Amino acid sequence: MVELQRNKTFEPSGVQGKLKIVLHDVSGTLIRALGTIERRGYDYRDVHCTQRVDGDFDLLVHIEDTGGPSNLDTLCKQLERLYNVVSAEKVGRRKHAERA
Amino acid sequence: MTTATQFEHQQTKILANREPKSGALLLLESIAAQGVDTIFGYPGGAIMPVYDVLPKVGSLRHILCRHEQGCGMAAIGYARATGKTGTAFATSGPGATNLVTAIADAYLDSVPVVFVTGQVTSDLMGTDAFQEVDIFGITLPIVKHSYIARDPADIPGMVAEAYFIAAEGRPGPVLIDLPKDVANALTTERHKWRPYPKVKPEMGQSDYISKAEDLIKDSKKPLFYIGGGIAQGDGVKELRDLVNRTQIPVVSTLKGLGSLPTDHPQFLGMLGMHGLKAANYAVQECDLLIVAGARFDDRATGKLDTFAPNAKVIHMDIDIAEINKLRKTDVFLDGSLKKNLEALNPGEAKCEDWRRLCFSRREEYEWDYKSPIGNMKTGGVYAPKLLHDLSRRVEGSAIITCDVGQHQMWVAQHCYFDNPKDHITSGGLGTMGFGLPAGLGAKLGAPNRTVITVSGDGSIMMNIQELATLFRYDIPLKIVLLDNSALGMVRQWQEVFFEKNYSEVNLDDNPDFAMVAKAFQIEAFTITKGDEVDDGIERLLSATGPILMHVKIDTYENVWPLVPPGRSNADMMER
Ligand SMILES: Cc1ncc(C[n+]2csc(CCOP(=O)(O)OP(=O)(O)O)c2C)c(N)n1
Ligand SMILES: [Mg+2]
Repeated sequence: MVELQRNKTFEPSGVQGKLKIVLHDVSGTLIRALGTIERRGYDYRDVHCTQRVDGDFDLLVHIEDTGGPSNLDTLCKQLERLYNVVSAEKVGRRKHAERA
Repeated sequence: MTTATQFEHQQTKILANREPKSGALLLLESIAAQGVDTIFGYPGGAIMPVYDVLPKVGSLRHILCRHEQGCGMAAIGYARATGKTGTAFATSGPGATNLVTAIADAYLDSVPVVFVTGQVTSDLMGTDAFQEVDIFGITLPIVKHSYIARDPADIPGMVAEAYFIAAEGRPGPVLIDLPKDVANALTTERHKWRPYPKVKPEMGQSDYISKAEDLIKDSKKPLFYIGGGIAQGDGVKELRDLVNRTQIPVVSTLKGLGSLPTDHPQFLGMLGMHGLKAANYAVQECDLLIVAGARFDDRATGKLDTFAPNAKVIHMDIDIAEINKLRKTDVFLDGSLKKNLEALNPGEAKCEDWRRLCFSRREEYEWDYKSPIGNMKTGGVYAPKLLHDLSRRVEGSAIITCDVGQHQMWVAQHCYFDNPKDHITSGGLGTMGFGLPAGLGAKLGAPNRTVITVSGDGSIMMNIQELATLFRYDIPLKIVLLDNSALGMVRQWQEVFFEKNYSEVNLDDNPDFAMVAKAFQIEAFTITKGDEVDDGIERLLSATGPILMHVKIDTYENVWPLVPPGRSNADMMER
């Protein structure tokens, strides 16, 4: 049988995480960020976006990997490379619980 | 690239000039203000306002290619030959979609190009109007950034930022989609654009230089693995100095070739799928890999978890998104590659045995161009030898662009380079049809250099129409067409991996390429025998206008060595 090539390079499968992404209000801003997440091998579990008073956006995304080489640090850097992305960071579970 | 001060200065100048102007004129003047002198483009309905005012902007030379893909690839060739940002125009709809392959090519090879597409008028956008496609949406995954111009007053700032983004950091393509009414509208307004764009990633000297130096000092088998970033980061001199200081052996990716002269004493050759044995063995055995401007592409690494299995990794790249992307890094040096190469100073590496091993292998596996091989034995033309001879004739003085396939790998394996910018190949996307338009773009950008395009009989047909562009502008490009009557690279894979089940790779009904070229009023001739090669090269090089040398070669010649896909680089197959 020929198997699917799901190459786990260094992180185990089922990587989940929550990202907080701050975006500039420019054309294509949301699609660009969400598209990058999807193309880099993740599914969304939850997406929440609000516009801030300064016009930028806060985007909270809960994601899960789809079997590619998952590495959330790399994903954050790939997001930060986008010109409309101000910042992208992992939001730790504990931190999130504290805030809630 | 524009500095923060220059960017501010441009903005001030823009805001000061309130003459009523159309969006189209603002676009062209802003492009000219970036120092652009050449635009490759193709007109059509939605971009007509721009073409209408084009003659008013005297400093811009417009090159009409014969297909938008040709425009895009010519702009890439121009950018890669000059180090400047390229510019390409197309109309909306089919014009824009014809640019897509070129945009992807620029994205995957990190080439700075600004693409401008016409768009239907604002009120029709989103209505499936005639020649409307969402080119902004289509290209989102393959641009560094993109814009839809909604207001002519934004255009000067937008254009300045587009050229800045294309060239900054890791370069790449930027798209501006310009609706027809925005191009037509007159305005006295000039909007202040956003401030100087944030440089991404933040540049800066890393603190890890000394950690990297320690790793090098501790290593018994260190190896440089260099890539296209050396040329793009303007680090050729710094790399050469560092290699001379440390005496560490070097392997290169396809796009790093020329960063060291091919015959440099420390150079082991290209690594990877069609890499040289000495290079691939060195990677497998090294205990420290010093990666500079390379990104662990699968064509270079083979099966990733078998790549340099015993090595620690120092990774230098301007793009921090490359850190740990595919291979865990022990020390990452971000920021300017040039500065990092300069700063790294571990002294001469103490690895005599390792060096001896590497260089004895290089000698052992060196190509032998003297004894007859392949169809030379029966009087035919052996393409690797022809390329070797040609490249030795022009040694270091020519730019070579190529297409994709076996001939592309032969160029990489057998041509001499001593400047990475002289090897213009579609590395990341592997785009057939790239060679001819990239060659004409390179020649227009570097008119004093000899520019040679090496193409295949499959590839050249993908942009053959650009022969008309050569004739129209009398661009003295020299084309070597290696005709094996086949989609050779695919045929080789079918031979080796699909049990000779040849499927749709036969091109033995090709047209007479010399006749085709002549129909475009390009000088052309055909050679079929080994003893015609010297005269052929002579004629090619002495021609003053565009010329095509059509070379018939053996259909069944293969590229060796070959690492089967998904296998370790240690599993190289041989003739
Ligand atoms: C646009 C495009 N389509 C298909 C391919 C797949 N492909 C890679 S090499 C190759 C054959 C190229 O044939 P030719 O230009 O004659 O070169 P040769 O290998 O014969 O030297 C093909 C079809 C490609 N790289 N690009
Ligand atoms: Mg061929």
